[in-house]
Amino acid sequence: MLNFNKHIHWIFVLLIPAGAIKYAFLLNGVQGFSWDLCVVDTLANLALAALSIWVIIILIKAYPTKVTAYTYSVMLSIGMAAVTVILLKLGLKLYYNQPFYEEYHRWFTGSLFVRVIFYCLLYSWIATNTALRKTIAALDSRFQQQTDTQNLLREAELFKLRQQLQPHFLYNSLNSISALILTEPDKAQEMIGKLSDFLRGSVKRDAEDHISLKEEMNYLESYLAIESVRFGDRLKVEYELHVGKEKTVPPFLLQPLLENAIKFGLYGQTGQVLITFNIHEQDGMVFITITNPFDATSTPPKGTGFGLEGVARRLFLMYARTDLLETHKQDNIFTTILKIPQHV
Amino acid sequence: MYKALIIDDEPLARELIKTLLKPHTQIQVAGECADGFEGFKTIQEQKPDLIFLDIQMPKVTGFEMLELLDTPPAVIFTTAFDEYAIKAFETQAIDYILKPITRERFDKAVNKWLAKAASDQKAAITMPEHSPIEGYQHRIVVKDNSTIKIVPAGDIHYIEANDDYVKIFTKDGWFLKKSTLTHIEATLDPKQFVRVHRSYLVPVSQLSKIEPYEKESHIALLHCGSKVLVSKSGLAKLKTLLGW
Repeated sequence: MLNFNKHIHWIFVLLIPAGAIKYAFLLNGVQGFSWDLCVVDTLANLALAALSIWVIIILIKAYPTKVTAYTYSVMLSIGMAAVTVILLKLGLKLYYNQPFYEEYHRWFTGSLFVRVIFYCLLYSWIATNTALRKTIAALDSRFQQQTDTQNLLREAELFKLRQQLQPHFLYNSLNSISALILTEPDKAQEMIGKLSDFLRGSVKRDAEDHISLKEEMNYLESYLAIESVRFGDRLKVEYELHVGKEKTVPPFLLQPLLENAIKFGLYGQTGQVLITFNIHEQDGMVFITITNPFDATSTPPKGTGFGLEGVARRLFLMYARTDLLETHKQDNIFTTILKIPQHV
Repeated sequence: MYKALIIDDEPLARELIKTLLKPHTQIQVAGECADGFEGFKTIQEQKPDLIFLDIQMPKVTGFEMLELLDTPPAVIFTTAFDEYAIKAFETQAIDYILKPITRERFDKAVNKWLAKAASDQKAAITMPEHSPIEGYQHRIVVKDNSTIKIVPAGDIHYIEANDDYVKIFTKDGWFLKKSTLTHIEATLDPKQFVRVHRSYLVPVSQLSKIEPYEKESHIALLHCGSKVLVSKSGLAKLKTLLGW
């Protein structure tokens, strides 16, 4: 069907000679004009029509106008129809100037109105068709451009969000390592190892869309190991895993949430802070639930990870859904629930 | 012998400062604190000459803790955040060391203070007058006897200017804070708090009714039952904010 629509204008190309031949025969048979006259009339019509169509197509393609493409096409067609008929009349009058052709010219003058209408319709059809094609092409290229821009933007945004791993974590960790070097060199070395694992995890997975839960958990463990060295006894993290480690999750989603929970927990209260972390499966999705103590009166810590908005934004860019991240506050416990659809 | 106090929420960060201080035999570590509450208390008890202060800490920040001290000691800030530096120097801090701390940088800061202390210049801390960099505050930190109390912005009934102090009326009674109403006004969200009068800052949510009082002024009735004066310009501010 689409193919047929695309090639429909070829039917028109075939119709023209067929119509022209029919016209010549009618002229000869019904009106009784000589063959010589019939052929010249037909060829003159064809030639002028072809010339006009060519002019119309060129004008429409080359000159954009502020008038609606279709109004412009119709106006142009009416003009060209008038020009065609006037040229025909004058040309034939000059060519057949003997008195013998008086009858033919009278008949021709009688048919002028019909000819004008015919050319108007013919030209309008071709002109609007051309205008339509032009509009479609323009829309197509604009759409393509928009899609390209959007893809680029999306890529850039995802990249930026991944890069937003805040350096404060790194600086503070290095500060702790610095302390350990002076007091417990063995522990310092161990922490450098953990920090390297964590950084390696952050850097190398940039290109991947999904990674296994196993890999993500290793990454989280190296992160938690560093945090527990930094905060000592104050930080207590309990986690439960109720799904197979072969499930996949997008990289860099869980760690910011965990980081968020730790920061809010640690800056929201003094003394020990318990963070719980639970992963289970439900309705074909992996549910990740994180809880942390929370204090409404304390100012949220600044510049710590890219936080909830960043995660929500990434989820939207990846799954085009806004219902995958939920948060609840109850009895000074802040709960974050993240849902990861499987088999996307 | 000088007394120094280390206030940082990370144990290893405190450990590092302690270790780096060892060669400076004229400075003795008088204590270590893991948050601003402890810090505030210990400073009042120990009266240290110098404190090493982290900024991001549980409950109250280093800046908020300083704000509560009547005679703050000399301060060297230690933090991983470089964006607080300007504010830190506005408090006339001795120095601002970025983590990870190196011995060279640390010694430079300590020597700078020692030189200052030797020439007996009192390093007076003054809090900056304009609003903090990190946007509007959602709370005010006040002293309640010798402890720190955090008043959420939502609990404030109104704030009254009172000489060098502001009197903050809340649902739990009132608190005095050494500050100006202009400073407090600058730190709170102007969409929520309106300076209705030279002496009064009122949360919009507390307004219940506004009545004419004298020929040029009005009086506002608050939900808590108190009445505050509203000046002509205060009324104009309320009108624009509430869109009468």
